[in-house]
Amino acid sequence: MARTLRRLTPLAGALPLVLLWALPLLLSLAITAASASDTQAWRALLAHPQLFPALFLSMFTGLAATLTALLLTLIILAGFQGTALWHRLQACAAAGLAVPHLAFAIGFGFLIMPSGLLARLASGDASPPAWITVQDPWGLSLTAALAVKEIPFLLTAAFAALFRGDAARLMDQHARAAASLGHGKGSIFLRIIMPQLLAQLRWPLVIVFVYGATVVDMALVLGPTQPPTFAVVAWHALNDVEPAANRMGLAATLLLTAILAMAILTVHGLLHASRDMQRRFLTAGPSALPAPRIGAGIIAVIISALLLLSIFLLLPLSAAPRWPWPGILPPLTGGTAWATLAASPAPLLLSLGLSLAVSAVSILIAVLWLETQPEARDRWLLWLALLSLAVPQLAVAGGQYRLFLDVGLGGKLAGLFLAHLSLALAYVMIVLSGPYRGFDGRYMKAARALHASPASALIRVKLPLLKAPLLTASAIGFAVSIVQYVPAQLIAAGRFATLPMEAVTLSSGGSRPLTAAYALALTLPPLAAFLLAGIVGRPRWR
Amino acid sequence: MALSLTDVSIRLGGGMLIHPVSLSIKPGEIVTLMGQSGAGKSTLLSFIAGDLEAPFSASGTVRLGGAALNDVPPEARHIGRLFQDDLLFPHLTVGENLLFGMARGPGPERLKMMQAALAEADLAGFSERPPHTLSGGQRARVALMRALLANPRAMLLDEPFNKLDADLRAQMRDFVFRHIRARNIPCLMVTHDRGDAPDHGRILRLKGGEVKDA
Repeated sequence: MARTLRRLTPLAGALPLVLLWALPLLLSLAITAASASDTQAWRALLAHPQLFPALFLSMFTGLAATLTALLLTLIILAGFQGTALWHRLQACAAAGLAVPHLAFAIGFGFLIMPSGLLARLASGDASPPAWITVQDPWGLSLTAALAVKEIPFLLTAAFAALFRGDAARLMDQHARAAASLGHGKGSIFLRIIMPQLLAQLRWPLVIVFVYGATVVDMALVLGPTQPPTFAVVAWHALNDVEPAANRMGLAATLLLTAILAMAILTVHGLLHASRDMQRRFLTAGPSALPAPRIGAGIIAVIISALLLLSIFLLLPLSAAPRWPWPGILPPLTGGTAWATLAASPAPLLLSLGLSLAVSAVSILIAVLWLETQPEARDRWLLWLALLSLAVPQLAVAGGQYRLFLDVGLGGKLAGLFLAHLSLALAYVMIVLSGPYRGFDGRYMKAARALHASPASALIRVKLPLLKAPLLTASAIGFAVSIVQYVPAQLIAAGRFATLPMEAVTLSSGGSRPLTAAYALALTLPPLAAFLLAGIVGRPRWR
Repeated sequence: MALSLTDVSIRLGGGMLIHPVSLSIKPGEIVTLMGQSGAGKSTLLSFIAGDLEAPFSASGTVRLGGAALNDVPPEARHIGRLFQDDLLFPHLTVGENLLFGMARGPGPERLKMMQAALAEADLAGFSERPPHTLSGGQRARVALMRALLANPRAMLLDEPFNKLDADLRAQMRDFVFRHIRARNIPCLMVTHDRGDAPDHGRILRLKGGEVKDA
């Protein structure tokens, strides 16, 4: 009996994760992949008049945003490395990461539009400039917004790589050794730190590129319209009531996935082919190149200012019915937008409730897995989680939509919950598995030796000691869930409305104060979650 | 050229870690500074190399061949260092590690110097190997050759034999001292093991913040 129970435990521990996350994810991808054989859908897609210009736009915005974000991130790291501000930069990056993409895009739009804050600051009393700054035909505003928003993510990923295990100490010693060989700080960054760092930033860069080339909500707010990006073309087709258009949308997501995969392989091939050139650069000999301190400082200030202004601008805009030109800020005459939001709180409450539930269930499922499965099994799971982040969300969501319709979950709250869980659990597993597996098992042995049962030792010793990573993972799960737009919009099928859905709808010509209020309502809960995780998660014994 | 310290003292927060010390090391001379862990030996080397960081602060003058180095950045001091760990760069091959600090110049000439250094370290044919495939002793030899190929005018050794086993330690000690003497450069080595010191060399002891002849 006891043996049977012991065998059942690993199975029971794995089942929730497999049934609620892995299986739906794999089936969704399989459904999208199966659309490859739908010749009619391909014919319709190839005949689409916006196919090639939209594809070009998607690739341009994705690549340009990724390269810009990477370049600026590297300059910031090179300039701040070894300074007193290094650790403060880490905290700033984490704060920037907590700002939702969609809310930032809305705020950024208010900042750069012809009648926006920057134009008011620059033009004085003159009339608004006749520039096309938002939804420009080249996708430049979308590219800029993506680049700015991804810098905190890349910085956070870089810090995670630089502070993993013994890496920080080793990197510092390598830098000292390189300095004794005649290399200046800039040269040390380029020849020692950057090559080792880039090797660890491959996945984050793939995620940034795929996200940038396939993002829908930001593209609907800031992206061009004639033609739109290819992700938006696919999105409209997936949302179409016509089954034929719907199938074409699925084929479009598959085409986008294939082209992105080819682009990534091409970049990989180019880097491989240029290996000799890279080697020559690395071993060219000592260079006194200094660290780009001033450049890094200027870039950090500009990026921080854009992020802060975009979010803080939402505050006065949400509290004022009008923003007459050329006033720098709108007159604060009342909070009618907030009153409207409060009068119909369903989207806010649904988003909060759903995200809290998704976050809690994600943690529960992840802990169940980590407690009952051997560490060796994490590998395939983490690969699957990374795959779900590296594959365009549209491709997963398109398949998921068809799958949920087939099993009767379309337009149901349970379907909406699972759609949110898909991405949130992937992030939770990636964030939590390292600290959880790294827990010193001797504490549990000590607790057991003091007559604690396994459950008691888990609840009274292990979980409290892992409080910080558990709360961080919960906050990430919550933040990822609350900003979900693509899968939620498809699965909700018009029966439910969440904050991102309302915000996107309003941003295309709706009331400016209400749009700002929804964008802020989308920003504040994740920020509060991260703040709470930071405060509550702080160990008492340090 | 000689390496000299004049009235060098090091403070940690409000307290004195090393009281003012002056010493001069002649070209080709290897001076050993002994002391227990935490005495400040490595901190003194960091000051000489130019990368002393907070919470430490220092005063006094470091000179190499008569020229003061205090305001010279670490990379321009021409002081080679060996650390407790070999610190070979893992993303570069053995040969590339050697080329890393070698002065810029015609490629074939640099390659020839690199191959000659490898042969000198009994590692001919190892240039394409990644560092992690080498044994501890081989890696230590590469680290020394890398430092020497950068043409240092002085050497600082920070317990470089600490992590080697007894047999290897004796071999490596001879190898390092032979090459440093051959280049006729001053060298300061810190260690807590008297057995690491060269025979007939000057030995100093750092105790209670005072540097004295042992």
